[in-house]
Amino acid sequence: MTVVPMENISQMLMVLVLATAAIIIMKRDIRSLIKTYAFQSLLVAVMAVVFYIETGIITLLLLAILFTVSKVLIIPYFMGKVQRKLNIKRDVQFHFLSPITALIVSLFIILFVYLAFTPLIGELNRFNSSLFTLGVTIGVSLVFMGMIVIFTRKQTLTDVVGYLTMENGVVLFSLFLTELPLLIEILIIIDLIMLTLIATILAFGIDSTIEEFHSRLNPFMHPKESAEKKTEEDTQ
Amino acid sequence: MNILLLLAYGIINTFFVLLVSPLFISLIKKVKAHTQGRKGPSLLQTYRNLAKLLKKETVYSKNSSWIMRATPIINIAALLVASLFVPMIYLPEPTNLVGNIILFLYLLALAKFFMALAGLDAGSTFGGMGSSREMAISALIEPVIILVFASLAFAYNTVSIPDMFRGALASTVFDPVILLIAISLFIIIIVESSRVPVDNPETHLELTMIHEAMILEQSGKNLAMMELSSAMKQLLLMGVLVNILFPWGLASDFSPASIAVSLLAFLVKAIILAVVIGLFESSCAKSRFFRLPGLFAIALFLAMVTLIIEVFA
Repeated sequence: MTVVPMENISQMLMVLVLATAAIIIMKRDIRSLIKTYAFQSLLVAVMAVVFYIETGIITLLLLAILFTVSKVLIIPYFMGKVQRKLNIKRDVQFHFLSPITALIVSLFIILFVYLAFTPLIGELNRFNSSLFTLGVTIGVSLVFMGMIVIFTRKQTLTDVVGYLTMENGVVLFSLFLTELPLLIEILIIIDLIMLTLIATILAFGIDSTIEEFHSRLNPFMHPKESAEKKTEEDTQ
Repeated sequence: MNILLLLAYGIINTFFVLLVSPLFISLIKKVKAHTQGRKGPSLLQTYRNLAKLLKKETVYSKNSSWIMRATPIINIAALLVASLFVPMIYLPEPTNLVGNIILFLYLLALAKFFMALAGLDAGSTFGGMGSSREMAISALIEPVIILVFASLAFAYNTVSIPDMFRGALASTVFDPVILLIAISLFIIIIVESSRVPVDNPETHLELTMIHEAMILEQSGKNLAMMELSSAMKQLLLMGVLVNILFPWGLASDFSPASIAVSLLAFLVKAIILAVVIGLFESSCAKSRFFRLPGLFAIALFLAMVTLIIEVFA
């Protein structure tokens, strides 16, 4: 049995994160999109644990716990709930790029990011050259791939997944580049949860006028009352 | 001595592929049946089918030409030769063997080409439909296959499959790009062995069938040869994936003990892969024909990323 070094594990994790980003660009089923995002966040959390074992910085372990609780459990659970209420199963409309074109474009983005970061490697390198290059390239590419998801998809829920992918990219990038204080990370996570909350609630009526919005939102916020109201209206 | 060893390798490998490949067809069927709550056919069912078909008479359509007669033989011959390239249980010593991945892929393509021709040959509507679909899919998946194997060649700095396995066996650390290649190879296995998101191997439903439509006109011994060759193709591709991702156990010396260990190890690994394929097949529905490029694009993307990492980083 070969011994797998830590560096190798984190490389594998990063490569898997990239694969999940590709799946997020391609997938149309919103439930599996959310699951893929949860898996991606889990990979990032595991990577933080790997770094903790390697460097012994306790912040990384706390970060991993924070990620697991917020991004693997809370946010996907909440989004799944909203998705069930909205009763939208698929996102089949695309702006500007079809998923396949988007995937090919993101290939060029990865190449470009790699070429852009090569001159900086000597100055920014924190751990080890090859790991750093791969991590930074994948982190920044992930941000761009999230952006592609945001502008190619029409459903708001998918856009939120794209935004969250971008955030994962930033986290990946920051894991390699510098160490953010835990407080800032916590604030970012709280922001993230709030933003997901607001964005998914807005998803109920983001394509409606303000007048329509309340009538669309109310059945979801107060299902009982509106059901009673509806039966009243029906009887009248 | 060396020549004898090579000869032994060729005989062992070819017979192993020939004998074991139907087992995996039944195994995947069994896994799928279990996920659907059925008992499923016995593991020996594919062997029984083949034995029965071999006893039956071959019927040719009046309109068919020599292509119909030659195709099963060309198919099985191409696959038998191709099976020499993929060491399943015994890795021969590095020699100046003729042939590399390009020849391997072309042999598979040759078999596929003649299968499509035979589909057209009898002049039945289903055959033509199947051939047309198969060629449309091939036109999309072949570049991906070439890219995946090219990235394998870059990862191991060689174009010979035994040397790749040797590289995989020798490497002490797990190269992360292999993971990407493995996902792409998995997709290729799904496409090439006509499995669920692409084709449905179970039905003869005219709307969906691809592979089955092409061999609809085959009968008797010829049908047996066609089915055996598609089972062999599946096992060969599975062998490439298994021996690159988990090379442990692959025997590189020719002694009965290590061969036996290697045989066991390969069977365990391949059975796990077959179960994964069966579960994957059960977990997704057959997708619409025009959505298939999406599946191929993921394989293409991962192969390209591998190339970027290998060439630049």
